[in-house]
Amino acid sequence: MNSMTTRAERKQKIVLQSIAFIILGIAFVGLWHELKDARATGGQPASEAILLSALSSLLNNLYIVLSMSLVAILFGIACAFYLEEWLPATNWIRRLIENLIAILTGIPSIAYGILAILIFFSYADTLKEAIEAFPLSENIEAIPSQIETTVFYAEALTFILMVMPLAIKKTQEALRSVATPIREAAYVLGASQWQVLTRQVVPIAFNRILAGGCRSMSRAFAMAALLVGIYTWHYTTEPGGMSGRFILFLSVALVLSIFSSTLIWVHGPDSAQHS
Amino acid sequence: MGNKIEISGLEVHYGGKPALNRVSFDVHENEILGIIGPAQSGKTTLLKVINRTLEFVPEATLNGTVKLDGVDISTVSDVYGLRRRIGMVLPLPVGLPLSIYDNVAFAPRAAGIRSKSQLDELVERCLQQAALWDEVEDRLDTLGTKLSGGQQQRLTIARALSHEPEVLCLDEFSIAIDPVTTMRIEEVLKTLRKEMTILLVTNLVQQAKRLATRTAFFLNGDLIEIDSTDVIFSDTPTQQATYDYVNGTFG
Ligand SMILES: Nc1ncnc2c1ncn2[C@@H]1O[C@H](COP(=O)(O)OP(=O)(O)O)[C@@H](O)[C@H]1O
Ligand SMILES: [Mg+2]
Repeated sequence: MNSMTTRAERKQKIVLQSIAFIILGIAFVGLWHELKDARATGGQPASEAILLSALSSLLNNLYIVLSMSLVAILFGIACAFYLEEWLPATNWIRRLIENLIAILTGIPSIAYGILAILIFFSYADTLKEAIEAFPLSENIEAIPSQIETTVFYAEALTFILMVMPLAIKKTQEALRSVATPIREAAYVLGASQWQVLTRQVVPIAFNRILAGGCRSMSRAFAMAALLVGIYTWHYTTEPGGMSGRFILFLSVALVLSIFSSTLIWVHGPDSAQHS
Repeated sequence: MGNKIEISGLEVHYGGKPALNRVSFDVHENEILGIIGPAQSGKTTLLKVINRTLEFVPEATLNGTVKLDGVDISTVSDVYGLRRRIGMVLPLPVGLPLSIYDNVAFAPRAAGIRSKSQLDELVERCLQQAALWDEVEDRLDTLGTKLSGGQQQRLTIARALSHEPEVLCLDEFSIAIDPVTTMRIEEVLKTLRKEMTILLVTNLVQQAKRLATRTAFFLNGDLIEIDSTDVIFSDTPTQQATYDYVNGTFG
């Protein structure tokens, strides 16, 4: 569906994306000034113990989130098989899901990244308070697990929202690439739908399905890398908490990104039909 | 001679648009029935009705009856078994992504044959019948998709014969292959006729003239005329349109 967008929609997308990026840029500049002010007023760098504890809790967290992403991708592939091979194209559930997927895959990775950072802030600040409240080093490992549940679910949801629709879309495209005449060749031999799928469709589409799965997974890895970077940076600079303004900027950029992809989805297929 | 297939009042629409209009005729046992007519006249649709693959076209609607050996095919519950009673060769050769051997063994295996010796024998016989054995004998385990176009089409024919069909349908089988291979396959069809009933849809009227016992002429979904090939290709077929089409002065 993205490939069917016309030049006008692409222009709209570029404009909205540019606005999102500019806001993001302003946010970063603003943050940089905040940091300078914090340094000037004598903010302390975090102790190594706090950093290591926070980092290990994050890596632990990411390990689980990445595993969940993998499961989500496999589940997405299964969903794509069901949608594409069993539900007729006119089925309302299939159409609803396909529309949702069109929106979700249209959202650029940066938007998911921003969402993850926003979630991370609520996590980081609570975590820091907890660590400061219990300065005994032997307790530090135990603290994160008590406070992270909600944040963890939010983060996991972000990862899944990012990888699963892409996995579904790529798998559907792969299955569609096995055209009717190729399937008919097996059907005329008296093969059942299951036999056609396992012996004809899957062997042909396998590489493309695998590539789609890898692409989805690499998205999750990129986001994980981003989070590790931000996390480390946050604890080593210790500016005394992120400014509310920065979070506002990020939220606006996020809303704009999602809005732009929705806009493209709304206009995309229609104008493609007109032309 | 008995009737292998009896078609009566067959109507097919695609999304309301007619493709076959109340067509009725019989196919005799062990004949080669040539089916000719310009593109879009419903020939492929007719074959899809016979092996019930029209069911894959959601917008298609069907009226009338088709009987195979006196049994209405729409009442057959084992549609896979029904399809195996009918061999189908489609216009463009499509190799299954399997070895040459597995291509031919696909249908017998789907039907439950497991014995290696039985499969070996069957694969060899079908490849022989399709005039392909000599060329692939020593590389049965290479991918079927690696063969040339003409070889792949003969592989398709071997595949269609592998489930020992009672009726063999060929849809413009020579469209993608060279004249020499076409001639070889035509010879094969002449011998196969002793064992099965053949429906030969062809875009080459001369092919029908060479092979068919009877010939049917379709035009825009109507069966214009069906008669012995000698009559259809004579100077006096019943319909002027038939004469024009056969003699290339159509349109
Ligand atoms: N899957 C389909 N969907 C809609 N229309 C179709 C489909 N297949 C065939 N038709 C239409 O049915 C008519 C007969 O087509 P076909 O049976 O393929 O004719 P032929 O094989 O003689 O060229 C044509 O008008 C064609 O456009
Ligand atoms: Mg045709």
